[in-house]
Amino acid sequence: MRNGSAEYIAKLIEPGRVHRNVYTDPDIFELEMERIFGRAWLYVGHTSQIPQPGDYVTTELGRQPVIMTRHRDGSVHVLINRCTHRGAKVVNDRKGNAPRFTCCYHGWSFDTDGRLASVPVPEGCAAGFDKSAFGLARAPHVGEYRGFVFANLAEKGLSFEDHIGPMKRNIDDLVDRAPAGALALDAGMHRYAYNGNWKLQVENVLDSYHVPFGHASTVNKQGVQFARREGDRKGATVVETEKKQTAASWKERKSYIVGSGHGWTSNTALDEGKRSSPAYDEYRRVLAESVGAERAQQILTPRLHNSLIYPNMSIMGLNIHVRVIKPIAVDRTEVTIYPIRLVGAPQAMNFGNIRLLNVTHSATSFVQTDDLEAFARTQQGLRSRLTDWVDISRGLGDEEPDRELNATRGLATHEMVVRAQYKAWLGYMREAA
Amino acid sequence: MDAPALRPAGESAVDRARFEEFLIAEARLLDERRFREWMELFTEDGTYWVPSVPGQASPFDQASLFYDDRDLMRTRVERLEHPRIHVQTPPSRTAHLVGNVLVEQADEAKGEYVIGSTVIVVEYRDDAQRIFAGRQHHRLRRDGASFRIVQKRVDLINCDSAFEAIAVPI
Repeated sequence: MRNGSAEYIAKLIEPGRVHRNVYTDPDIFELEMERIFGRAWLYVGHTSQIPQPGDYVTTELGRQPVIMTRHRDGSVHVLINRCTHRGAKVVNDRKGNAPRFTCCYHGWSFDTDGRLASVPVPEGCAAGFDKSAFGLARAPHVGEYRGFVFANLAEKGLSFEDHIGPMKRNIDDLVDRAPAGALALDAGMHRYAYNGNWKLQVENVLDSYHVPFGHASTVNKQGVQFARREGDRKGATVVETEKKQTAASWKERKSYIVGSGHGWTSNTALDEGKRSSPAYDEYRRVLAESVGAERAQQILTPRLHNSLIYPNMSIMGLNIHVRVIKPIAVDRTEVTIYPIRLVGAPQAMNFGNIRLLNVTHSATSFVQTDDLEAFARTQQGLRSRLTDWVDISRGLGDEEPDRELNATRGLATHEMVVRAQYKAWLGYMREAA
Repeated sequence: MDAPALRPAGESAVDRARFEEFLIAEARLLDERRFREWMELFTEDGTYWVPSVPGQASPFDQASLFYDDRDLMRTRVERLEHPRIHVQTPPSRTAHLVGNVLVEQADEAKGEYVIGSTVIVVEYRDDAQRIFAGRQHHRLRRDGASFRIVQKRVDLINCDSAFEAIAVPI
């Protein structure tokens, strides 16, 4: 590999800027697959996708095909989707239920915990062939918090608790909105792709600076975005119409960083008092019945907007969904968006959430499509060799500790969160695996 | 949707041409980016649905590529008219081809019809060209001399794949 030395990698990241090669160099991308996606905790899926024994979903961790299964003893397994015989991908469906997984090529058959169950024509196996050594490879470490399953493909590294601990409250913030205290990711998915580096999407999920400009087409002449939540009459005020500038309330939004690259943004001020619709009112009533009026009020007063669990997933709090980022190549990325059903909430409330997500974050949506355009144009612009640096210096030096939240705080229109992502990036990338 | 029963050879369909002409005119509005006029083809309770999985039973409990009622259609069209819609700078150019038109259900008394067809859309934008293809079902209601759309459903053959941005209706 041409560009793998620690000296070279360290030179790509400076305090307020990043070298364009981190987005464009195929060698750097290969190293990322090895050093970040090969040893960071990665989000795999949610246990609600595999409620019954034999249920499975397939996905990719980085570029590696994996199966997340529910074994008959109830345990969850994250298995590499590759036959241990000659290497064919074993499971081809996105989801399903099966008592065993049988490879299409020579018929090797694996149990739902990955164990090799049977080999056709076993008398042909070499002397000493040990079936127990030919189970599907498995992620060495798997951790779960409130249904969210993460895996680490490296033997050694950060414990799951150290990874997820600082972000537990962000998961709680979402799960607690469900009257039954559980989420279901069973409403299908949106899948979109763009010709750009995976980090462009990662950086974007906590980027509040781009909204008034990047999403100008979603803002009406009064500076107000379209209503994005069940029960809202209108959306957030993002532009002051008279001065045509970013609205003051928008500029006051905060962002926070914790752990290795994680972070979140505080909520936009929305008119919570006026939020009302038959579905929303019924939801509020059911939630109060389940957790008490005071707690329900707390839960329904949004504090968190978007949360990033570095490097491959985010929890989005306004149009609630889980987002998973899959690098394909240095200039190609796929993203999967999972709508969330709040278990115990009225059906109409869940249906409203699912439906509005179609117009906010699908490949056809009003919001996401302009981001995809920005990602593709960024990748094109970064081909320029005369300007090597990407500026991420907004608010540099303005970060301050937030002792109550045990986090570092800055303004959401600053770029503190991106700098934190590159600090984590460098931490993974400078050391050989 | 179930395939329609095949008619015996020689038995003519109910005046298929008038439905075919309507579908061609609808496609023309999209190709000419006359989105507001396209929206006006829908009834007040009309919906435009593009499922995200084959044979999707409901637009409510599952994600869809599009499931617009008139309110969402209006927001979509207003955005398409916005001067700073980046994903339409430059705009898409499309060519719709509608064929294999079949009258699948006809209730002349109520003036309600379900018309099946096949659509191929070629889209060009910013040096890239791509193809969409699928089956359409138009639920139409007679309105004077013409029809209005109660539901347009497009089942793309690749509905569950990952898409680059789709900014204009299929």
